[in-house]
Amino acid sequence: MSQTEQLSYIAGQAADARLNLELETDGMVINLGPQHPATHGTLRLVARLEGEEVVEAEPIMGYMHRGYEKLAEVRTYLQVTALINRIDWLGSFANEVPFILGAEQLMEIEVPDRARWIRTLLFELSRIANISLFLGEMGLQLGAVTPAFFAFRDREFVLNQIEQVTGGRFHPNFDRIGGLKDDLPAGWIAETKSVMKRMRTFCDEIEDLLVGNEVFETRMRGIGVIPAEVGLSYGLSGANIRASGVDWDLRRDEPVGLVYDQLDWKVWTHPDGDSFARYWVRVQEVREATKMVEQILDGLPSGPIMAKVPRIIKVPKGEAYIQTENPLGAMGYYIISKGDLTPFRLKIRSASFNNISITPWLLKGTLVPDIITILGSLYFILGDIDR
Amino acid sequence: MKTKKIRMPGFFKGLKVTFMTMLKTLFPGGLKKPVPNPSAGAHTVQYPRVKELPPTRARGVIALHTENCTACMLCARECPDWCIYIEGHKELAPPRREGGKPRQVNKLDRFDIDFALCMYCGICVEVCPFDALFWSPEFEYSEPKIDDLLHDSKRLTNWMDTVPSFTEYEDGSEQKVRAVPDPVEKV
Repeated sequence: MSQTEQLSYIAGQAADARLNLELETDGMVINLGPQHPATHGTLRLVARLEGEEVVEAEPIMGYMHRGYEKLAEVRTYLQVTALINRIDWLGSFANEVPFILGAEQLMEIEVPDRARWIRTLLFELSRIANISLFLGEMGLQLGAVTPAFFAFRDREFVLNQIEQVTGGRFHPNFDRIGGLKDDLPAGWIAETKSVMKRMRTFCDEIEDLLVGNEVFETRMRGIGVIPAEVGLSYGLSGANIRASGVDWDLRRDEPVGLVYDQLDWKVWTHPDGDSFARYWVRVQEVREATKMVEQILDGLPSGPIMAKVPRIIKVPKGEAYIQTENPLGAMGYYIISKGDLTPFRLKIRSASFNNISITPWLLKGTLVPDIITILGSLYFILGDIDR
Repeated sequence: MKTKKIRMPGFFKGLKVTFMTMLKTLFPGGLKKPVPNPSAGAHTVQYPRVKELPPTRARGVIALHTENCTACMLCARECPDWCIYIEGHKELAPPRREGGKPRQVNKLDRFDIDFALCMYCGICVEVCPFDALFWSPEFEYSEPKIDDLLHDSKRLTNWMDTVPSFTEYEDGSEQKVRAVPDPVEKV
């Protein structure tokens, strides 16, 4: 080997070594969000990748923190109701109910029957409005645009019904300590019954569109499996835990103040625990909710809608914690009152915060495209996470 | 030999749903007599030309019935955003009966609602003990300048014309239907 050849050999080796050094894959960190269409708001997800595989993922919350717990301390009970509408903005009425029930428990108020029935009715309507949007949006996460339009179209009917009663499409502010703000307007019951029929057709349509679809099934089945014990240890609730085969529903287990024990309905569970199971359980939940609404409309008792309540509401000294099964999962309010016009402390336990906490465990070892599917199927609302 | 059941793939099933929706939108009168009329079959309206009326209970804008207002400040105090500004003074009015003492009445100097701050919760309308505030479903009052969203008492009084009468209640209700006061002549 001549000297020139030797030199060029060494240079080549050095170039190779340099190239290897440059190509050394050290994992890549990607930021999903805070502004990403797939995150329903401002959730930031920092994921460390090894090729296409997620090694570590961490959700970073708090971009939408509005400090509701502190704001509630300087507001009267009537004003807090208007405020907490904005926590889970898709099913607003459901946010008010546990807070009002807690305050009523402290004040020891007996709520009239009709108010309790209408409360349950609006609770279920807001569940339909909330989850039906998820049913369409899940298709959007996978690139199917049609279901989202279907969902927005049919959800509008439910929102119209809510608006006719409460005056607000998104923020009803209708629940009051001791009962409700107003009664149902004439002709509303018949209209709601036809809307419920429509929502069941919507469920059938969405099942035909997505549940049988091959692309949808391959992207959803076996992806993001949550075993029951892991889900329970992370504090999952709502449809997410029911999809893991845990038969747990606060509506049936502790029907505080609402009339679920007088209705004929079923808690749906799915044994798989994957993304598809979470979707399927929610489709059934909307169906079940439409049936419940019809039963309530048939059995609505007559009577007053407001108990005798002092004009200036002062909640006596004490503590109360009330949890209800909201569209996103278990939501609870811990109210501490010192006998003032305002709550002394209000702790809000919202479902989405706990549901999103499982993501570091769940996303480990999944592929990048599946992040969106799994996040979508967990179904959280950013207002519910950050409060 | 077992014959394999031919199943329609889910993909085509979905296409069928979309196609049927398209037909329903194009021919809302039914397929027997197909007259294409997509604007009737669509669920949206062409907004500036066609307007969808919100329900009567919709919280669009707050109207003020100045005659009933006593400047008691309840609404301003209960408002979560403090977006109602009220100023008033006391005045002596002639006595109701002959030879009586002159009455003291509260006169309203200023009643402003800043709709840029308002969160449309409806607490002010609810707490008003004298039926001076009403909801109107009117919603077209956006302004190019944010300052113009502060409606003064004159503008709030003019909204009284758009307040619909209260709806009747469903059977089994014990609520009493309230009445909207007759509008006074415009200021």
